[in-house]
Amino acid sequence: MWRSLTSGLALLLIARSGEAHHSGAMFDAQQSITLNGTVRLFQWTNPHCWIQLLVPSQTGTTEWSIEMGSNAQLYRNGWRSNTLNPGQKIIVIIHPVRDGTAAGLFVSATAADGSFLGRAPAPASP
Amino acid sequence: MRRVVAFWLIAVLGASLAEAAQNAPQRVRAFAALPDWTGLWETEVSRAVNRLSGKPAGNELEAINKSVQLVGPAPYTEAWGKKLQADLSTPAAAVGASTAKLCTYGFPMIMDVFQIFQAVVTPEETLFVFDNGEVRHIYTDGRGHPGKDDLWPTAMGDSVGHWEGETLVIDTVARTEGSLRMGPNSLSAQAHFTERVRRLDKNDLEDQLTVDDPVALMHPWKLTLHYTRAADLDRMLPWDCANDRNPVVDGKLSVAPP
Repeated sequence: MWRSLTSGLALLLIARSGEAHHSGAMFDAQQSITLNGTVRLFQWTNPHCWIQLLVPSQTGTTEWSIEMGSNAQLYRNGWRSNTLNPGQKIIVIIHPVRDGTAAGLFVSATAADGSFLGRAPAPASP
Repeated sequence: MRRVVAFWLIAVLGASLAEAAQNAPQRVRAFAALPDWTGLWETEVSRAVNRLSGKPAGNELEAINKSVQLVGPAPYTEAWGKKLQADLSTPAAAVGASTAKLCTYGFPMIMDVFQIFQAVVTPEETLFVFDNGEVRHIYTDGRGHPGKDDLWPTAMGDSVGHWEGETLVIDTVARTEGSLRMGPNSLSAQAHFTERVRRLDKNDLEDQLTVDDPVALMHPWKLTLHYTRAADLDRMLPWDCANDRNPVVDGKLSVAPP
């Protein structure tokens, strides 16, 4: 009996294991949003890099906070500290946070000319 | 008088140089007998996470989780299983699990997660230096563990080792009792770890880890951890928690704009 209960709890707690720093439960991995905006700030930091993106909205401009992996992780995917600069226009796909605030988890990004920022994502397995 | 002082100074200096000259070839030979583990090493889960620029999610996360062996089922005694179940069943434990932020892991979890490490092999000790700043010191100069008055529980425990051919055999005790930090598992203060670390080929390193714990485990828990060379890196890239923008608000992680 104790084993099955512990096993159930393991499933709950294991959700945090694939994360480098904290749980991804705050993000809705089933939803994807495309943001077309202008970079205000790119933080090349640990444990996560962040993009602050200004996106035109019905009320004017909304600033989105986009969480990425660590800078070491991004480096291995072709990113550098100067890949993004303030004023740069980019298109970003994110998994939004569940509480509705203007924030989300980075999925991929392209420059205004359509080229991938960082290494292009690997094609999905068949 | 000056001549006497000068004589003794020269004599002492000469003796020191002679000793250094004697020791140098011995140490060179000792180094030469050790295996070459230079480079940076990483687990399968590190390779999987580092393919992404964000975080793994959905099926990707599930697949990655399966490769972290130390969060898998352990052969607990009934008493320890019940204790663990009670510990994990509290509301505080549930909140703690969903809001945990891990910057360090301690031993043994550090050997099975995302942190890249460098193995520094010397005759006196082998060091595993991790990118998040954690370090394992494995003394191979013939010493044993400290006596009980000089030994207390720590996150990394106390490690000594010896070489059997090109295999480093590590003995670790005095790990702090409790959670393995990631996932549901925990061990008692009596946990005793034996590792056999060897290079399989140029790009593969293996750690056969056996966990004995007379309080928590019915029988030894055996795992084989596997590392590959991070060939795309030519230096250690530091990983820290200097810019944590995820405060816990009302028991949940949130995002704090700068």
